[in-house]
Amino acid sequence: MSTQSIKVENLVKTFGQGENSINVIDGASFSVEKGELVALIAPSGAGKTTLLMMIGCVQEPTSGQIYLGDEKVYDNKWLTRETRKIRREKIGFIFQAHYLIPFLTVLENVTLLPQTNGKSKLEANTKAMELLTYFDIADKAHSMPSSLSGGQNQRVAIARALANNPEIILADEPTAALDLTRSIDVVKMLKKIAIDQNVAVIMVTHDEAMLPLCDRILKIDNKKVISVATKEITSV
Amino acid sequence: MINLAQKDISHTFGKFIVTAMGVGMLLGIVLIMIGVYRGMIVDAESLLTDINADLWIVQEGTIGPFAEASRIPEDLKDSLKAVPGIDKSAAITFQNIQLPKKTKPVRVVAVGFNPFGDINPLNLTRIIAGRNINKSHYEIVVSAKTGFKLKDKIPLGRNIYNVVGVTKGTVSSSGDPLIFISLKDAQELQFSYSNNRIRNDRYRGIKNIESHIANAIIATVKAGYSAELVAQHINETQYKSVFTYQQQHTILVKNVVETASKQIGLFTAILVVVSTIIIALIIYTMTLEKIKEIAIMKLIGIPNSMIIKMIVQETLLLGLLAFVFGNIFSHLIYSKFPKRVVLEAPDALSLFFVILIASILASFIGVKKVISADPSTAIGG
Ligand SMILES: Nc1ncnc2c1ncn2[C@@H]1O[C@H](COP(=O)(O)OP(=O)(O)OP(=O)(O)O)[C@@H](O)[C@H]1O
Ligand SMILES: [Mg+2]
Repeated sequence: MSTQSIKVENLVKTFGQGENSINVIDGASFSVEKGELVALIAPSGAGKTTLLMMIGCVQEPTSGQIYLGDEKVYDNKWLTRETRKIRREKIGFIFQAHYLIPFLTVLENVTLLPQTNGKSKLEANTKAMELLTYFDIADKAHSMPSSLSGGQNQRVAIARALANNPEIILADEPTAALDLTRSIDVVKMLKKIAIDQNVAVIMVTHDEAMLPLCDRILKIDNKKVISVATKEITSV
Repeated sequence: MINLAQKDISHTFGKFIVTAMGVGMLLGIVLIMIGVYRGMIVDAESLLTDINADLWIVQEGTIGPFAEASRIPEDLKDSLKAVPGIDKSAAITFQNIQLPKKTKPVRVVAVGFNPFGDINPLNLTRIIAGRNINKSHYEIVVSAKTGFKLKDKIPLGRNIYNVVGVTKGTVSSSGDPLIFISLKDAQELQFSYSNNRIRNDRYRGIKNIESHIANAIIATVKAGYSAELVAQHINETQYKSVFTYQQQHTILVKNVVETASKQIGLFTAILVVVSTIIIALIIYTMTLEKIKEIAIMKLIGIPNSMIIKMIVQETLLLGLLAFVFGNIFSHLIYSKFPKRVVLEAPDALSLFFVILIASILASFIGVKKVISADPSTAIGG
């Protein structure tokens, strides 16, 4: 078994066709190891979200290859019709906003996916409560998301992303809505999870203060993905 | 497994119930309208069925008292007895009159019959107080809808009538309440003129010979005889128009209430279509309202089957609740209508299925739209 969790080769993404087409990513190649927390930076509109959504099997690339774990999922086309199953079983998403389902309680939000994947209610609840305790929010388990603060909801969203034991966590600006201390907490948490659960984490961020906490920094530069060292960062 | 429909509904319970009640009221109105239509047909047949005569003998060239004016000598009832196959026969009159009342006169149809005759046109099971008339004069049986009660006195023409009986559900073919009076009284009310007119006529040499006129002769046929053949026989020998029960029934349904029932029927049909569309739109909008939540579910990997299940369950529950509310609503208000409203379970059920199928279709169109949307729309670009 390789230690590589995400491998992307020659990935291209073009929106639209003909004269109006926008080429956002053009020949990106990189990989992320298990247990690694990688930051993804680039100016606004450079294609960070697009890249994450392609790796997450949400948006279809134009061409290239994507490997998730040992499985090749994309080779100029999806290799499975069930991209949603890949998402459900392998990937945990965290977004800038929490995107919790408003009519489910905190606990139900966290257990929905594991239960969908066939875990028993008891098993799912136990794991969820562990995570909520870990994120210091267990006392809100039976509250509705609308009654929680932004930071609390973001922690629930992270718990949800982890509940299913994903191999990969894709986080799109998870700290944008949080203050500095909370942000540092969240990134430290992601790093801890990456190590504890041997998960590959890609985190999009605009916040320079987060970069030193990450193992590596990837940058979208001229439609390609390059590695940069922390000290080279001038602006993100 | 978490039941998403149940969670969603309990999260927006008030809104869900109010929507169900609104849809329910709409259904209730449709049910009432169907009931009005049914009631009209039932009313039209009611008197004919109550009288339950095998034959209707009316003025030659006319189609009978329900459809047009008919005058026929009263004594024909006696000569008819000689016709082979005739069992009983009686003269009967129908006339529109206004019963005087303090607030507002009541419009009724008066049925005149001989209380000592062979055929009693008053269906005795409909009497809820008192009795049938049993004197030749000044007794009256009224429908409860007229507002008169037992022992009330009603002045009509030159005389005062005693209410001796009250009925429920007796109506004319056009849905007006019925009253029953003796044939003699009815003839006097219908055919006798004012003193001045009689004096005037006398000077002009005209004699009032019309007081022994009826509007129709009704007859029953002995067992073993065919009503059609007896009718044909009378028609050939007496030079009168004769109709069997079935023919009168057809005339009532075809000629008398046809336009009115078509009018109501068409209106009801349009109402069904319009409310189906409105309900479908409500369901469609309800589905689209959840587009954001559904996009999130898709994004994190919830399968379509679970999403569709949620929407369909909510639609079914809404339909069911609306159906219950609609029926409660229509049963609460139907008796307030002045004319008969007949609420029938099969009508309610067919309406339920029409609405249900439309709702499920609408929710599917909604779901299809929601499901085909790009999940990345959930995160707003
Ligand atoms: N569905 C789409 N159709 C057409 N163009 C799109 C679509 N989605 C994204 N784009 C374009 O692709 C480019 C990259 O968008 P993307 O959202 O990936 O940027 P980003 O790096 O995440 O920016 P930000 O930091 O503002 O979130 C933008 O120019 C955007 O206009
Ligand atoms: Mg973005």
